[in-house]
Amino acid sequence: MPDVVLQDVAKHYGPAVAVANMSLRIGDGELVALLGPSGCGKTTTLRMIGGFVETTSGCITVGGRDVTALPPNRRNMGFVFQNYALFPHMTVAQNVAFGLEMRGVNRSDTDRKVREALVRVRLAQYADRLPRQLSGGQQQRVALARALVIEPDVLLLDEPLSNLDASLRQEMKIEIRQLQQSLGLTTIFVTHDQDEAMSTADRMVLMYNGKVEQVGPPDEVYGAPRSVFAAGFLGIPNLLPGQMLPGQQGFRLEAGPVLRLSGQAAVAGRCFLALRPEVISIHAAPPSDAENCLAGRVEIMTYHGSAVEYQLRTDIGLTLTARAVAPGLGGPALLPEGSRAWLSWPATAGVTVSEN
Amino acid sequence: MRAGQSRSIRIGYTAFSMAVIGFIVLPLIFIVWMSFYSNKILSFPPEGYTLDWYRRAWALSDFRNGFFLSLRTSLIATVVALCLGLPASFALVRGRFWGRETVSTVLMSPMVVPGIVGGSALFVFFLEVEFLTGWRVAGTSLGLIVAHSLIALPWMIRLVTTSLISVNPSIEEAARSLGAAPLTVFFRITLPVIKPGLIAGSLFAFINSFIDLEKSIFLVGPDSTTLQIALINYLEWNFDSTIGAVATVQIALITVLLLITDRYAKLSRAF
Amino acid sequence: MLAAPGLVFVTLGLLLPLALMLRNSLNRYDPSELMISAVTAENYLKFFGDAFYQEVLWRTVWISGLSTAICLVAGVPVAYFLARHVSALAKRMLLIVILVPLLIGNAVRTSAWMLILNDKGVLAAFLGLFGHEGPLGLMYSAQGVIIGLVSVLLPFMIITLNSVFESIDQNLEDAGQSLGAGHFTIMRRIVLPLAMPGVLAGSVLCFILSMNAYATPVLIGGPTFHMMAPTVYQQIAKVMNWPFGAALAFILMAVTLILTVGVSVVVQRRYRKWSE
Repeated sequence: MPDVVLQDVAKHYGPAVAVANMSLRIGDGELVALLGPSGCGKTTTLRMIGGFVETTSGCITVGGRDVTALPPNRRNMGFVFQNYALFPHMTVAQNVAFGLEMRGVNRSDTDRKVREALVRVRLAQYADRLPRQLSGGQQQRVALARALVIEPDVLLLDEPLSNLDASLRQEMKIEIRQLQQSLGLTTIFVTHDQDEAMSTADRMVLMYNGKVEQVGPPDEVYGAPRSVFAAGFLGIPNLLPGQMLPGQQGFRLEAGPVLRLSGQAAVAGRCFLALRPEVISIHAAPPSDAENCLAGRVEIMTYHGSAVEYQLRTDIGLTLTARAVAPGLGGPALLPEGSRAWLSWPATAGVTVSEN
Repeated sequence: MRAGQSRSIRIGYTAFSMAVIGFIVLPLIFIVWMSFYSNKILSFPPEGYTLDWYRRAWALSDFRNGFFLSLRTSLIATVVALCLGLPASFALVRGRFWGRETVSTVLMSPMVVPGIVGGSALFVFFLEVEFLTGWRVAGTSLGLIVAHSLIALPWMIRLVTTSLISVNPSIEEAARSLGAAPLTVFFRITLPVIKPGLIAGSLFAFINSFIDLEKSIFLVGPDSTTLQIALINYLEWNFDSTIGAVATVQIALITVLLLITDRYAKLSRAF
Repeated sequence: MLAAPGLVFVTLGLLLPLALMLRNSLNRYDPSELMISAVTAENYLKFFGDAFYQEVLWRTVWISGLSTAICLVAGVPVAYFLARHVSALAKRMLLIVILVPLLIGNAVRTSAWMLILNDKGVLAAFLGLFGHEGPLGLMYSAQGVIIGLVSVLLPFMIITLNSVFESIDQNLEDAGQSLGAGHFTIMRRIVLPLAMPGVLAGSVLCFILSMNAYATPVLIGGPTFHMMAPTVYQQIAKVMNWPFGAALAFILMAVTLILTVGVSVVVQRRYRKWSE
């Protein structure tokens, strides 16, 4: 399986920049998620790789072959559309056979490959149905079979799970991952859902305003967001504005106090300390041995079953969110709204994030 | 804009389409151009330019009277179509009664029955009425108005119903719940919302009545000749630039009306 | 009943006269008394016994069929072009450009074509530049009538097809392309089968309109070029043979109906599988 390389790829619509000089290498057999809010350029990027959107500049290579100027029908890529785009006037089998027919594959090979592909997505008994007679999940699997049967060099998926309900989404997520692994397919998929990206992809590409914000394995990106946008998009609610002190051992909050830090790279000027809710402990009394501690009052307590989320208004005016293990599972006793509480976290817990 | 289609295919589509659209439009451009020729006998290319043909067309009472008769007839027909069509559109969109499909088919049928057939049926009907009662309708402006109202009505209904369908009935319910009486709701809420449809419907009704030839040809009389009939009567014996002058005026009128309609409704929806 | 006034108006102005005309078609014609009440099929028999009228009908049918076919071939690419290749603003402007000739009226449009087609007209002058000499012979000919008809019908075809093409999900074409199909394969295998209801609707509309065309055959075809609608007019308004004119009108409507329903059934049977 070949790799996909994007080199300074850009897409402009008149003065509007949909994707600004983007460079990225998707390795052989790798599953990469393009993640970001709507309008961030992720779908445009995918469609440029697929050949449906012309690049304004830059080049795209697949296994070393420059495909930038090739029309989609000569790129040999499997594309799964958000709404599946199954041909409504053809049966499931005819849909799957279409790509083979275009490649001039003979009748018996086509029949065999179509059957195999349908077996692989567990739809063999639906071969003669029309797309509209299938459920959303089944249509999705037909779309997958249709894209895979042509033995594409690359598999491209555009929001493949967004039209499915929650339980089916979970199931398809696993199924797509398994298919991709067993075939060793270089795969790129687009999503706006960070959970989906984190649980499926080998690497995530976080995009914002047509630019790549951060690239890396899910745990790395989630653990160390590199920008305020990344932290916010990945669901890190605690962003404390301030400035690093020389020596990287301290962080002066704009609200006054200095927090202890360790293991952080230097960031000059105004920056933010990002704290995930899980790293903050909550106490009913002042903790004795905490490296960092802020006192405050519980504003909102939300019970999630296995965890409890607290939103605290600290005495210095900052609002922080902490997530504790539920009392029944070994966590601290519930603190009712309005009660006084103390938050603590180790010096290594936070991540400093530059302002932009 | 479709990417992924090769440049040559795109150029091919553009060139072909421009040729076809040119085929549709060019004759009109030529007839406008021709209306300014100074040639006495129509030929090509022009020897010079003049506005004489417009003066001549205006001096011909057939054209001048025909224009005003057409204008008057179509205006009245549009008003009739509005009075009959607006309530009918409400019944068709909001009503839930037995035979609604049939009512709709009947109301739209003047658009479906070919003009020559509808025109001849009306003509014979009017004459038979005259034989029976001595009441003369064919060849009078009343007969013309009836025929033109029939032409205008389906267009009015088509455009008004399209715009009524898109009105969310809950905005009327909201107005009621805020204390408005039914008539107030109609004048303050519903009517303003469907105004674009009403304007588009009226303009289409007017245009289609104004340009009608097939129905009118049976019903015109010596003192009541519409512009379209005056045109083809003239064409039977003459072919000079007077025609071009009249055509140019009509092209200008229709184009302006269409541009106004376009501001209020998606034109393709009228067909 | 809000629809009642309109209903009464259409019934009195169209349905009643049509019913009366149907009855008249069974009456007997008498040159001195116009019409004698009777129940006879002689007007219909006269049509089928007279080769002249059959030729008029046949000419009307083939000219309409051919004009419709030309509109289809010329209209599909334009409708697709408008649906897929132009910006919203350009589309809106082109639509007006297409609609002006449609709504300009038969009298003006046909006289414009007379200007182009006549032997001393624009086309002759243009061809003269390339050394063509002698009369064009397009006026008073079937070719001329077809040219005139096509120019009236094309806008209808383009607008009908355009709205169908716009309703087809563009992703289907992208999907076809990503599976390796070229443009013409996509058109043949995906777009046109899906657009079939619109292709049918547009063709039926064009066919009906040209079956009933009046101004084009009269003005471009001239006094010796006979088609059905002008013949109906002639019989009813000039000869005043109402029974025969009525019979002609109903034969015209019946033939139009039979042909369009027949073609629709055949086409729908081919494409029904997925469309119901």
